[in-house]
Amino acid sequence: MSFTKSVVLSCAGIGSRLGLGQTKALININGKTLIRLQLELLKDVEDLRIVVGYQAHDIVEEVLKYRTDVVFVYNHNYFETKTGTSYYLGAKDANDYVIEWDGDLLVHPDSIKRILTQEGEFICYADRTSEEAVFVRTDEMGNVLSFSRASGSYEWTGPACLKRSRVHYTSENVYNQLEPYLPIRGLKIEAYDIDTYEDYKNVIRRIQEWKI
Amino acid sequence: MIKFIFDLDGTITKQETLPLIAENFGVQHEISQLTQETVQGNIPFIESFIRRVHLLGELSVSSISNLLIKVPLYDRVLEFIRMHLDDCVIATGNLDCWSEQLTRIVGCTSYFSHARVEMDKVVKLETILRKEQIVRMYKEQGYKVVFIGDGNNDLEAMRLADVAIATGLTHFPSKSILPVSDYLIFNEITLCRLLNQLY
Repeated sequence: MSFTKSVVLSCAGIGSRLGLGQTKALININGKTLIRLQLELLKDVEDLRIVVGYQAHDIVEEVLKYRTDVVFVYNHNYFETKTGTSYYLGAKDANDYVIEWDGDLLVHPDSIKRILTQEGEFICYADRTSEEAVFVRTDEMGNVLSFSRASGSYEWTGPACLKRSRVHYTSENVYNQLEPYLPIRGLKIEAYDIDTYEDYKNVIRRIQEWKI
Repeated sequence: MIKFIFDLDGTITKQETLPLIAENFGVQHEISQLTQETVQGNIPFIESFIRRVHLLGELSVSSISNLLIKVPLYDRVLEFIRMHLDDCVIATGNLDCWSEQLTRIVGCTSYFSHARVEMDKVVKLETILRKEQIVRMYKEQGYKVVFIGDGNNDLEAMRLADVAIATGLTHFPSKSILPVSDYLIFNEITLCRLLNQLY
Protein backbone atom coordinates (compact mmCIF):
# COMPACT_ATOMS: atom_id res chain seq x y z
CA MET A 1 0.00 0.00 0.00
CA SER A 2 1.32 3.42 -0.86
CA PHE A 3 0.82 5.64 2.15
CA THR A 4 2.09 9.17 2.33
CA LYS A 5 1.22 10.09 5.88
CA SER A 6 3.80 9.70 8.61
CA VAL A 7 2.91 7.71 11.71
CA VAL A 8 4.45 8.73 15.04
CA LEU A 9 4.42 5.85 17.50
CA SER A 10 5.05 7.22 21.00
CA CYS A 11 7.06 4.79 23.13
CA ALA A 12 9.05 7.19 25.29
CA GLY A 13 7.22 6.94 28.60
CA ILE A 14 8.04 4.93 31.70
CA GLY A 15 4.67 3.22 32.01
CA SER A 16 4.52 3.79 35.74
CA ARG A 17 0.79 3.09 36.14
CA LEU A 18 1.11 -0.39 34.72
CA GLY A 19 3.73 -1.38 37.25
CA LEU A 20 5.39 -4.20 35.32
CA GLY A 21 8.80 -2.65 35.86
CA GLN A 22 9.67 -1.86 32.28
CA THR A 23 8.66 0.36 29.43
CA LYS A 24 5.33 -0.70 27.98
CA ALA A 25 6.79 -1.30 24.53
CA LEU A 26 8.59 -4.35 25.91
CA ILE A 27 5.77 -5.98 27.88
CA ASN A 28 4.78 -9.43 26.77
CA ILE A 29 1.43 -9.87 25.00
CA ASN A 30 0.74 -13.50 24.22
CA GLY A 31 4.40 -14.27 23.57
CA LYS A 32 5.30 -11.12 21.67
CA THR A 33 6.53 -7.77 22.87
CA LEU A 34 4.04 -4.94 22.46
CA ILE A 35 6.37 -3.12 20.08
CA ARG A 36 6.68 -6.23 17.90
CA LEU A 37 2.88 -6.42 17.72
CA GLN A 38 2.75 -2.75 16.72
CA LEU A 39 5.32 -3.32 13.99
CA GLU A 40 3.25 -6.18 12.61
CA LEU A 41 0.07 -4.11 12.72
CA LEU A 42 1.76 -1.09 11.11
CA LYS A 43 3.80 -2.99 8.54
CA ASP A 44 2.28 -1.00 5.63
CA VAL A 45 3.39 2.35 6.99
CA GLU A 46 6.43 3.57 5.08
CA ASP A 47 7.38 6.54 7.25
CA LEU A 48 7.11 5.00 10.69
CA ARG A 49 8.67 7.16 13.41
CA ILE A 50 9.14 5.62 16.82
CA VAL A 51 9.65 8.10 19.63
CA VAL A 52 11.91 6.67 22.32
CA GLY A 53 13.05 7.89 25.72
CA TYR A 54 12.95 5.55 28.72
CA GLN A 55 14.83 2.31 27.94
CA ALA A 56 15.46 3.63 24.45
CA HIS A 57 18.30 1.26 23.73
CA ASP A 58 16.25 -1.82 24.62
CA ILE A 59 13.40 -0.69 22.37
CA VAL A 60 15.80 0.05 19.50
CA GLU A 61 17.33 -3.41 19.78
CA GLU A 62 13.91 -5.07 19.84
CA VAL A 63 12.67 -3.11 16.80
CA LEU A 64 15.81 -3.87 14.80
CA LYS A 65 15.04 -7.60 15.08
CA TYR A 66 11.99 -7.03 12.87
CA ARG A 67 12.47 -3.82 10.94
CA THR A 68 15.43 -1.54 10.24
CA ASP A 69 13.77 1.14 8.13
CA VAL A 70 12.07 3.10 10.90
CA VAL A 71 13.11 6.53 12.11
CA PHE A 72 13.85 6.59 15.83
CA VAL A 73 13.09 9.98 17.31
CA TYR A 74 14.48 10.90 20.73
CA ASN A 75 12.39 12.52 23.42
CA HIS A 76 15.19 13.10 25.92
CA ASN A 77 12.81 14.91 28.29
CA TYR A 78 10.43 11.98 28.59
CA PHE A 79 10.30 12.23 32.37
CA GLU A 80 9.03 15.82 32.38
CA THR A 81 6.82 15.68 29.30
CA LYS A 82 3.76 13.84 28.02
CA THR A 83 2.71 12.33 24.72
CA GLY A 84 2.05 15.75 23.18
CA THR A 85 5.79 16.39 23.20
CA SER A 86 6.52 13.07 21.53
CA TYR A 87 3.94 13.82 18.85
CA TYR A 88 5.52 17.22 18.22
CA LEU A 89 9.05 15.79 18.05
CA GLY A 90 7.98 12.98 15.76
CA ALA A 91 5.98 15.29 13.52
CA LYS A 92 8.24 18.27 13.11
CA ASP A 93 10.24 16.98 10.12
CA ALA A 94 7.71 14.44 8.88
CA ASN A 95 5.35 14.29 5.88
CA ASP A 96 2.53 16.81 5.42
CA TYR A 97 0.05 14.85 7.51
CA VAL A 98 1.11 13.07 10.67
CA ILE A 99 -0.81 10.46 12.62
CA GLU A 100 -0.06 10.21 16.32
CA TRP A 101 -0.28 6.71 17.72
CA ASP A 102 0.29 5.85 21.36
CA GLY A 103 2.65 2.93 21.72
CA ASP A 104 0.37 1.42 24.34
CA LEU A 105 -2.75 1.52 22.19
CA LEU A 106 -3.73 -1.65 20.37
CA VAL A 107 -6.01 -0.99 17.43
CA HIS A 108 -8.00 -3.71 15.71
CA PRO A 109 -6.56 -4.55 12.24
CA ASP A 110 -9.83 -3.59 10.50
CA SER A 111 -9.77 -0.20 12.20
CA ILE A 112 -6.12 0.24 11.22
CA LYS A 113 -7.06 -0.22 7.56
CA ARG A 114 -9.69 2.52 7.88
CA ILE A 115 -7.31 4.85 9.70
CA LEU A 116 -4.54 4.44 7.17
CA THR A 117 -6.83 5.21 4.24
CA GLN A 118 -8.44 8.33 5.75
CA GLU A 119 -7.81 11.63 4.04
CA GLY A 120 -7.05 14.82 5.93
CA GLU A 121 -7.31 15.45 9.65
CA PHE A 122 -9.29 13.27 12.02
CA ILE A 123 -9.60 12.05 15.60
CA CYS A 124 -10.31 8.45 16.57
CA TYR A 125 -12.37 7.35 19.52
CA ALA A 126 -13.79 4.10 20.84
CA ASP A 127 -16.57 2.78 23.02
CA ARG A 128 -16.07 3.56 26.68
CA THR A 129 -14.21 0.81 28.50
CA SER A 130 -12.54 2.73 31.30
CA GLU A 131 -13.80 5.01 34.05
CA GLU A 132 -10.64 7.06 34.30
CA ALA A 133 -10.41 7.98 30.66
CA VAL A 134 -10.68 11.25 28.77
CA PHE A 135 -13.99 11.30 26.94
CA VAL A 136 -15.09 12.92 23.70
CA ARG A 137 -18.37 14.64 22.94
CA THR A 138 -19.47 14.33 19.34
CA ASP A 139 -22.23 15.77 17.16
CA GLU A 140 -24.69 13.62 15.19
CA MET A 141 -22.18 13.34 12.31
CA GLY A 142 -19.54 11.96 14.64
CA ASN A 143 -17.38 15.08 14.59
CA VAL A 144 -15.44 15.62 17.80
CA LEU A 145 -16.68 18.75 19.60
CA SER A 146 -14.82 18.58 22.90
CA PHE A 147 -12.73 16.50 25.30
CA SER A 148 -13.76 16.05 28.92
CA ARG A 149 -12.50 14.30 32.03
CA ALA A 150 -16.06 14.13 33.36
CA SER A 151 -18.35 12.82 30.65
CA GLY A 152 -18.79 12.15 26.95
CA SER A 153 -20.28 9.68 24.51
CA TYR A 154 -17.03 7.91 23.70
CA GLU A 155 -13.53 7.38 25.05
CA TRP A 156 -10.63 9.29 23.52
CA THR A 157 -8.07 6.71 22.49
CA GLY A 158 -6.26 8.20 19.50
CA PRO A 159 -4.89 7.86 16.93
CA ALA A 160 -5.37 11.37 15.61
CA CYS A 161 -4.09 13.03 12.48
CA LEU A 162 -3.16 16.67 11.99
CA LYS A 163 -1.47 18.62 9.28
CA ARG A 164 2.20 18.80 10.27
CA SER A 165 2.19 22.60 10.36
CA ARG A 166 -0.54 22.52 13.02
CA VAL A 167 1.34 20.25 15.44
CA HIS A 168 2.87 22.66 17.94
CA TYR A 169 5.06 22.03 20.96
CA THR A 170 3.38 21.17 24.23
CA SER A 171 4.61 19.40 27.35
CA GLU A 172 1.06 18.16 27.85
CA ASN A 173 -1.14 15.52 26.23
CA VAL A 174 -2.04 15.00 22.60
CA TYR A 175 -5.64 15.97 23.21
CA ASN A 176 -4.44 19.37 24.47
CA GLN A 177 -2.81 19.83 21.08
CA LEU A 178 -6.06 18.97 19.29
CA GLU A 179 -8.40 21.16 21.36
CA PRO A 180 -7.72 24.49 19.60
CA TYR A 181 -8.70 22.94 16.27
CA LEU A 182 -12.05 21.40 17.28
CA PRO A 183 -14.39 20.44 15.79
CA ILE A 184 -12.45 17.80 13.86
CA ARG A 185 -13.87 14.87 11.92
CA GLY A 186 -14.26 11.80 14.13
CA LEU A 187 -13.66 8.15 13.39
CA LYS A 188 -15.00 5.43 15.63
CA ILE A 189 -12.62 2.51 15.97
CA GLU A 190 -12.01 -0.60 18.05
CA ALA A 191 -9.00 0.00 20.23
CA TYR A 192 -7.72 -0.70 23.73
CA ASP A 193 -5.07 1.12 25.62
CA ILE A 194 -2.90 -0.41 28.28
CA ASP A 195 -2.63 1.91 31.23
CA THR A 196 -3.31 -0.37 34.18
CA TYR A 197 -2.85 -4.04 34.99
CA GLU A 198 -6.59 -4.55 34.38
CA ASP A 199 -6.19 -3.06 30.90
CA TYR A 200 -3.26 -5.39 30.29
CA LYS A 201 -5.27 -8.49 31.19
CA ASN A 202 -8.18 -7.23 29.09
CA VAL A 203 -5.97 -6.71 26.02
CA ILE A 204 -4.43 -10.15 26.28
CA ARG A 205 -7.93 -11.63 26.21
CA ARG A 206 -9.21 -9.40 23.39
CA ILE A 207 -6.45 -9.76 20.88
CA GLN A 208 -6.52 -13.54 20.88
CA GLU A 209 -9.41 -13.19 18.42
CA TRP A 210 -7.54 -10.78 16.13
CA LYS A 211 -5.88 -11.96 12.95
CA ILE A 212 -2.42 -10.44 13.11
CA MET B 1 19.32 27.95 3.94
CA ILE B 2 20.28 24.46 5.02
CA LYS B 3 23.62 22.68 5.24
CA PHE B 4 23.96 18.93 5.60
CA ILE B 5 27.29 18.01 7.16
CA PHE B 6 28.25 14.36 6.75
CA ASP B 7 30.79 12.35 8.64
CA LEU B 8 32.72 10.22 6.13
CA ASP B 9 33.70 6.90 7.70
CA GLY B 10 30.78 4.54 8.08
CA THR B 11 28.29 7.23 7.08
CA ILE B 12 29.21 7.67 3.40
CA THR B 13 31.71 4.81 3.19
CA LYS B 14 30.57 1.29 3.93
CA GLN B 15 33.78 0.63 5.83
CA GLU B 16 35.80 2.51 8.40
CA THR B 17 38.89 3.66 6.54
CA LEU B 18 41.59 3.68 9.24
CA PRO B 19 41.17 -0.04 10.05
CA LEU B 20 41.15 -0.74 6.32
CA ILE B 21 44.46 1.06 5.86
CA ALA B 22 45.89 -0.80 8.83
CA GLU B 23 44.73 -4.14 7.50
CA ASN B 24 46.18 -3.51 4.07
CA PHE B 25 49.56 -2.53 5.41
CA GLY B 26 49.83 -5.13 8.15
CA VAL B 27 49.50 -2.91 11.23
CA GLN B 28 45.97 -3.91 12.16
CA HIS B 29 46.96 -5.23 15.58
CA GLU B 30 48.31 -1.91 16.87
CA ILE B 31 45.50 0.08 15.27
CA SER B 32 42.69 -2.15 16.48
CA GLN B 33 44.07 -2.03 20.03
CA LEU B 34 44.09 1.76 19.89
CA THR B 35 40.62 1.87 18.35
CA GLN B 36 39.25 -0.40 21.04
CA GLU B 37 40.78 1.68 23.82
CA THR B 38 39.35 4.82 22.22
CA VAL B 39 35.87 3.36 21.84
CA GLN B 40 35.95 2.30 25.49
CA GLY B 41 36.89 5.85 26.45
CA ASN B 42 40.30 4.92 27.90
CA ILE B 43 42.16 7.11 25.43
CA PRO B 44 40.75 10.47 24.34
CA PHE B 45 39.97 10.72 20.65
CA ILE B 46 42.57 13.37 19.83
CA GLU B 47 45.39 11.41 21.48
CA SER B 48 44.28 8.25 19.76
CA PHE B 49 44.15 10.00 16.41
CA ILE B 50 47.67 11.40 16.81
CA ARG B 51 48.98 7.95 17.70
CA ARG B 52 47.16 6.31 14.81
CA VAL B 53 48.53 8.87 12.36
CA HIS B 54 51.99 8.29 13.76
CA LEU B 55 51.60 4.54 13.16
CA LEU B 56 50.26 4.99 9.63
CA GLY B 57 52.36 8.02 8.68
CA GLU B 58 55.29 5.88 7.60
CA LEU B 59 53.19 4.32 4.88
CA SER B 60 53.06 5.60 1.34
CA VAL B 61 50.50 8.41 1.14
CA SER B 62 49.68 7.74 -2.50
CA SER B 63 49.14 4.03 -1.83
CA ILE B 64 46.71 4.86 0.99
CA SER B 65 44.91 7.40 -1.15
CA ASN B 66 44.61 4.89 -3.99
CA LEU B 67 43.32 2.27 -1.57
CA LEU B 68 40.63 4.57 -0.20
CA ILE B 69 39.13 5.44 -3.57
CA LYS B 70 38.16 1.78 -3.86
CA VAL B 71 36.14 1.79 -0.63
CA PRO B 72 32.49 1.03 -1.38
CA LEU B 73 30.10 3.91 -0.71
CA TYR B 74 26.42 4.03 0.25
CA ASP B 75 24.79 4.57 -3.16
CA ARG B 76 21.67 6.37 -1.91
CA VAL B 77 23.62 8.69 0.33
CA LEU B 78 25.97 9.43 -2.56
CA GLU B 79 23.00 10.11 -4.84
CA PHE B 80 21.49 12.50 -2.29
CA ILE B 81 24.75 14.43 -1.94
CA ARG B 82 25.28 14.64 -5.68
CA MET B 83 21.76 15.95 -6.18
CA HIS B 84 22.35 18.66 -3.56
CA LEU B 85 26.05 19.42 -3.95
CA ASP B 86 25.77 23.02 -2.78
CA ASP B 87 23.93 22.04 0.39
CA CYS B 88 26.15 19.14 1.46
CA VAL B 89 29.65 19.03 2.92
CA ILE B 90 31.83 16.31 4.41
CA ALA B 91 33.63 16.77 7.73
CA THR B 92 36.18 14.04 8.39
CA GLY B 93 38.97 13.82 10.91
CA ASN B 94 40.99 11.84 8.40
CA LEU B 95 44.00 13.42 6.76
CA ASP B 96 43.52 15.38 3.57
CA CYS B 97 46.40 13.55 1.89
CA TRP B 98 44.66 10.21 2.42
CA SER B 99 41.02 11.08 1.86
CA GLU B 100 40.85 13.99 -0.56
CA GLN B 101 40.84 11.77 -3.65
CA LEU B 102 37.96 9.79 -2.18
CA THR B 103 35.87 12.84 -1.34
CA ARG B 104 36.46 14.18 -4.86
CA ILE B 105 34.52 11.16 -6.07
CA VAL B 106 31.64 12.25 -3.84
CA GLY B 107 31.91 15.77 -5.25
CA CYS B 108 31.00 18.14 -2.42
CA THR B 109 33.14 20.50 -0.34
CA SER B 110 35.10 18.58 2.30
CA TYR B 111 36.97 19.43 5.47
CA PHE B 112 39.85 17.30 6.80
CA SER B 113 42.68 17.18 9.26
CA HIS B 114 45.84 18.37 7.61
CA ALA B 115 49.32 16.92 7.45
CA ARG B 116 52.52 17.94 5.77
CA VAL B 117 53.71 15.37 3.28
CA GLU B 118 57.25 14.94 2.04
CA MET B 119 58.55 12.16 -0.17
CA ASP B 120 55.14 10.47 -0.10
CA LYS B 121 55.16 10.19 3.70
CA VAL B 122 53.37 12.08 6.45
CA VAL B 123 56.07 14.07 8.20
CA LYS B 124 53.93 16.28 10.44
CA LEU B 125 50.35 16.35 11.62
CA GLU B 126 49.49 20.05 11.40
CA THR B 127 45.81 20.44 12.21
CA ILE B 128 43.15 18.11 13.56
CA LEU B 129 39.68 18.90 12.33
CA ARG B 130 37.24 19.85 15.03
CA LYS B 131 33.94 19.20 13.38
CA GLU B 132 32.09 21.51 15.75
CA GLN B 133 34.00 24.42 14.21
CA ILE B 134 32.50 23.60 10.82
CA VAL B 135 29.02 23.49 12.38
CA ARG B 136 29.65 26.81 14.12
CA MET B 137 30.92 28.43 10.93
CA TYR B 138 27.81 27.52 8.96
CA LYS B 139 25.49 28.48 11.80
CA GLU B 140 27.14 31.89 11.98
CA GLN B 141 26.49 32.26 8.27
CA GLY B 142 22.80 31.69 8.98
CA TYR B 143 22.43 28.10 7.88
CA LYS B 144 20.22 25.55 9.55
CA VAL B 145 22.78 22.80 10.15
CA VAL B 146 21.99 19.10 9.99
CA PHE B 147 24.81 16.82 11.12
CA ILE B 148 24.90 13.16 10.19
CA GLY B 149 27.41 11.02 12.05
CA ASP B 150 28.10 7.87 14.01
CA GLY B 151 31.24 8.32 16.07
CA ASN B 152 32.49 9.77 19.30
CA ASN B 153 34.40 12.45 17.37
CA ASP B 154 31.05 13.72 16.02
CA LEU B 155 29.72 14.38 19.52
CA GLU B 156 30.41 18.10 19.90
CA ALA B 157 29.37 18.82 16.32
CA MET B 158 26.10 17.00 16.89
CA ARG B 159 25.48 18.81 20.15
CA LEU B 160 25.83 22.10 18.34
CA ALA B 161 23.91 21.23 15.17
CA ASP B 162 20.27 22.24 14.73
CA VAL B 163 19.40 18.67 13.83
CA ALA B 164 21.59 15.73 14.83
CA ILE B 165 21.11 12.40 13.08
CA ALA B 166 22.92 9.41 14.52
CA THR B 167 23.44 6.70 11.94
CA GLY B 168 24.02 3.01 12.37
CA LEU B 169 24.53 2.11 8.73
CA THR B 170 27.87 0.35 9.21
CA HIS B 171 27.91 -0.33 12.95
CA PHE B 172 25.84 0.71 15.95
CA PRO B 173 26.66 4.37 16.57
CA SER B 174 28.82 5.40 19.47
CA LYS B 175 26.61 5.51 22.56
CA SER B 176 28.09 8.85 23.57
CA ILE B 177 26.31 10.65 20.71
CA LEU B 178 22.82 9.32 21.43
CA PRO B 179 21.98 11.77 24.24
CA VAL B 180 22.55 14.69 21.83
CA SER B 181 20.82 13.09 18.83
CA ASP B 182 17.39 13.99 17.53
CA TYR B 183 17.16 10.93 15.29
CA LEU B 184 18.64 7.47 15.04
CA ILE B 185 18.62 5.71 11.66
CA PHE B 186 19.85 2.30 10.51
CA ASN B 187 18.88 2.26 6.86
CA GLU B 188 20.17 4.45 4.03
CA ILE B 189 16.81 4.71 2.26
CA THR B 190 15.25 5.91 5.52
CA LEU B 191 18.14 8.32 6.03
CA CYS B 192 17.66 9.85 2.58
CA ARG B 193 13.89 10.11 3.13
CA LEU B 194 14.52 12.01 6.35
CA LEU B 195 17.08 14.27 4.67
CA ASN B 196 14.54 15.11 1.97
CA GLN B 197 11.89 15.79 4.64
CA LEU B 198 14.29 18.20 6.33
CA TYR B 199 14.41 20.44 3.26
